[in-house]
Amino acid sequence: MAAETFILFSVAGTTYALRSRDVAHVEMIEQVTAVPNAAAFVDGVVFSRGAVVPALNLRARFGFERTPYGVSSRLIVIHHAGRTVGLVVDAAREFAVIDDGSIHPPAAALTGLSGRYLEGVANLGDRLVLVLNLEAVLEFSDPVLEQHA
Amino acid sequence: MKDPARAMDRTLVVDDSPTMRRMVMASLREVCDGGFAEAASGLEAIEQLAIGPAAVMILDLNMPDMHGLEVLRFVRNHPSLKRLPVIVLTTRGDDASRAAALDAGATLYLTKPFAPHALAGHVRALIGNSTAERA
Amino acid sequence: MSGESPFASFMDEYFAECDEHLAAIRRLLLEIEPVAAAGGAAPQDAIEELFRSFHSIKGISGMVELREAEMLAHHLESYLRELRGRESRLTAVGLDALVAGVDALERTIAARRDGHAPPAVEAIVGSLEAVTPSAVAASATEGDAAPPATWRVTFAPAGELLGRGINVDVVRARLRQTGRIVSAAPKIRGGSVAFEFLVAGALDEATVVAWRADGIEAEPVLAEPAPGMPEPAEAQGGDGGARLAPSHVVRVDLTRLDELMRIIGDLVISRARLEAALAPMERRVPPVEWRAVQEHSQTIERQLRDLREGLMRVRLVPVGEIFRRMPFVVRDLARDTGKQVRLEMRGQDTEIDKFLIERMMDPVLHLVRNAVSHGLEDPADRVAAGKSAEGTLTLGAASVGDMVMIEVADDGRGIDSSAVAARARAMGIAVADGPIDTATVLDLICTPGFSTREETDRASGRGVGMAVVKNTIEELNGHLALQSAPGEGTRFVIELPLTLSITDALIAHVGDRTFAVPQGHVREVVEIDPVSVRVIEGHELAPFRGGSLPILRLARLFGMTERQRRALHVFVVGTGTEAVGVAVDRVSGQREIVVRSMADALVKASGIAGATDLGDGRAVLILNLPDLARHARTSLTRAGEVGNR
Repeated sequence: MAAETFILFSVAGTTYALRSRDVAHVEMIEQVTAVPNAAAFVDGVVFSRGAVVPALNLRARFGFERTPYGVSSRLIVIHHAGRTVGLVVDAAREFAVIDDGSIHPPAAALTGLSGRYLEGVANLGDRLVLVLNLEAVLEFSDPVLEQHA
Repeated sequence: MKDPARAMDRTLVVDDSPTMRRMVMASLREVCDGGFAEAASGLEAIEQLAIGPAAVMILDLNMPDMHGLEVLRFVRNHPSLKRLPVIVLTTRGDDASRAAALDAGATLYLTKPFAPHALAGHVRALIGNSTAERA
Repeated sequence: MSGESPFASFMDEYFAECDEHLAAIRRLLLEIEPVAAAGGAAPQDAIEELFRSFHSIKGISGMVELREAEMLAHHLESYLRELRGRESRLTAVGLDALVAGVDALERTIAARRDGHAPPAVEAIVGSLEAVTPSAVAASATEGDAAPPATWRVTFAPAGELLGRGINVDVVRARLRQTGRIVSAAPKIRGGSVAFEFLVAGALDEATVVAWRADGIEAEPVLAEPAPGMPEPAEAQGGDGGARLAPSHVVRVDLTRLDELMRIIGDLVISRARLEAALAPMERRVPPVEWRAVQEHSQTIERQLRDLREGLMRVRLVPVGEIFRRMPFVVRDLARDTGKQVRLEMRGQDTEIDKFLIERMMDPVLHLVRNAVSHGLEDPADRVAAGKSAEGTLTLGAASVGDMVMIEVADDGRGIDSSAVAARARAMGIAVADGPIDTATVLDLICTPGFSTREETDRASGRGVGMAVVKNTIEELNGHLALQSAPGEGTRFVIELPLTLSITDALIAHVGDRTFAVPQGHVREVVEIDPVSVRVIEGHELAPFRGGSLPILRLARLFGMTERQRRALHVFVVGTGTEAVGVAVDRVSGQREIVVRSMADALVKASGIAGATDLGDGRAVLILNLPDLARHARTSLTRAGEVGNR
């Protein structure tokens, strides 16, 4: 029974979890430079430790209404499959250890999301935490083709 | 035939491949107190011998301009170089070259590819390790 | 790979030396190729050099325990030994086996360097063995042959000898049978003529004695260099003295240069930040002191620029490295497709960043293959069209300011734009009716999936299509252009910046947004009165140098609100009929910028080449104007199409 460390963050009132091994670091969000003609859920790019990192707004990605960045907004910079991407979230400050066994497949009705972006659901004490499927979140096709489709 | 004085002379490494020369020198770093001189061809080798004394010469056979055996014959014909220990490097399985090398006056032959400790052992035996001598 | 060889730390040097040998080998193969075609005798000095190169590669491969390379080199060496010393005939089959063997050797070594499995080589070894009859039996154990000794042979012609039919030709023929004639010269000896030969060969006692009766004196020669003045050892492969030790050349790993470049980039940014932090203090400091601070700051800026340029020069390598293998590729392709091709190469000395060379190898190869396979017509068709049966493929390189241009041009059938349009429509892409310009043709053929004939055969499944070619070039902040005329030919031009990392840029403003525009792309910056801009068929045109310049408004392209301005500041991109003006609100100056790449799919957008930090930590987007212009033209055309339905 394997257990892993996860970082917990919140988007639109719900708590999500990401494997720590995918996370490079978490930083405050400073200036994000918009990139013209990028997808709607991409806020733009930001300099993080000298590299240009795309800032993906999870609120927008999950279909929620955008809100302006606040004092607790954070950029979670992840490394995955050779890509470095920043995820814009409302807050992020906790770590937790979650057993593989505690992660159950998401029931469609439960979340309101299509479940597409979720790997599963975990019980953390009395809390329900949604484990993110990073690949699905990052997966992306050319916006030009999408527009013309 | 250990000669303590010899140990402080440089070791002459003759091979037209720079990588091979560096590998030979790396193998012999612990053994050759007198340092190294390099030559990429037979002519350069002879020039180096003319410049100054060598403790031992590691000689590749197949080189441009002047084949290693010719260098060897030249050295053996030269009064002051007659007693220079020469280790000849030959390719695996070449009996003809080995025989020719010994005939031409090689002190020892070694086949490529060689293990560093094998070369180091032979050279140490030929020139004497000065620290061992002092001990 | 179990158990590291004791010489594992020598891999970098091993690879570097193999590279040198392989370069020399390729040059030599080129030299002997026409001989093989004519079925003649192979030039001995080339054979000798080739033999020694394979022998060296075999030796060091054995030392670093790269067995596959050792074996391949061994077989190549064996074949060369056959050709050597006996003036054997070099056949086309033999040359093919050689070329295939060298190719496999190169790939085997590259596989080790890049961490892949080595390629399968049995077939190639088989074909080498087939052309090397006597060496095969001894194969795995054969070593250096005993070298030919050198003999000085003197022949003094005399009446009596001539009467017996022994003249200098006969003597020469005899000598050639025993070995290789190194030199032959007439000499005057005591008032009469004698011929002196230097022969590398094997002569036994019996022959020497027998020859004496025929007036031929032979004596062995030991090399006698004057120790103080040896003949300089010839640099092999014309690579310039790399074999002389000690050498003034230092081999440097490219990653170390990348690291240096990164450090310089950081320095540039730090200096910018320092300047930004100092600026508000100007008011509070006496002018004299402030001037001193400014001077120092400017000195540092100048020194950094020199350092940057110096490092850039270290990384420069002649473009000829890419061109080096083209003759072989062209030869093979021409043969496979039954075409006749003459390859012209120009500007091989043009220098470009080493990193770019490695990235551009495949795209240039792809363009060359396309030119021979599809661009050039069959000899019969060409003659029917009034052209010469032999087509010409031109590879050229030139440096223009901060950029390098590489061109691949053929004098073949040109690109049929209506066929391209038809295929595009069949794919579901909207294309305007009527004639389409070459920029659009280029865009279409670079659409993923456009060509059903994507190269999977000879490119060994790497699937390099035009889309990948264009992508690669754009990732390098470069630009691809096409010129084509039906029946006349096709010309691809690749423009690349000399270096990726640091470049001079103009700082442009649109609304409240700031952008950096690399200077290399900009021909001119002009001010245009908005009133003079005319709209014709949905396109804006401004009068410019006696003609008209299409104007693209950056604000519009980026979906930003436009403001009315007194004057339009326009970057002119491209030349002649291809010129386009990109309009911004304001240009605030010129800066040296550090380019940080922005390659993730989420933010990859046409016309954006990366981002930079101007000193305040904000990401400022860097524009690739030529791409922006081309993309804009296409999408405006498509938008026009949609609007018309």
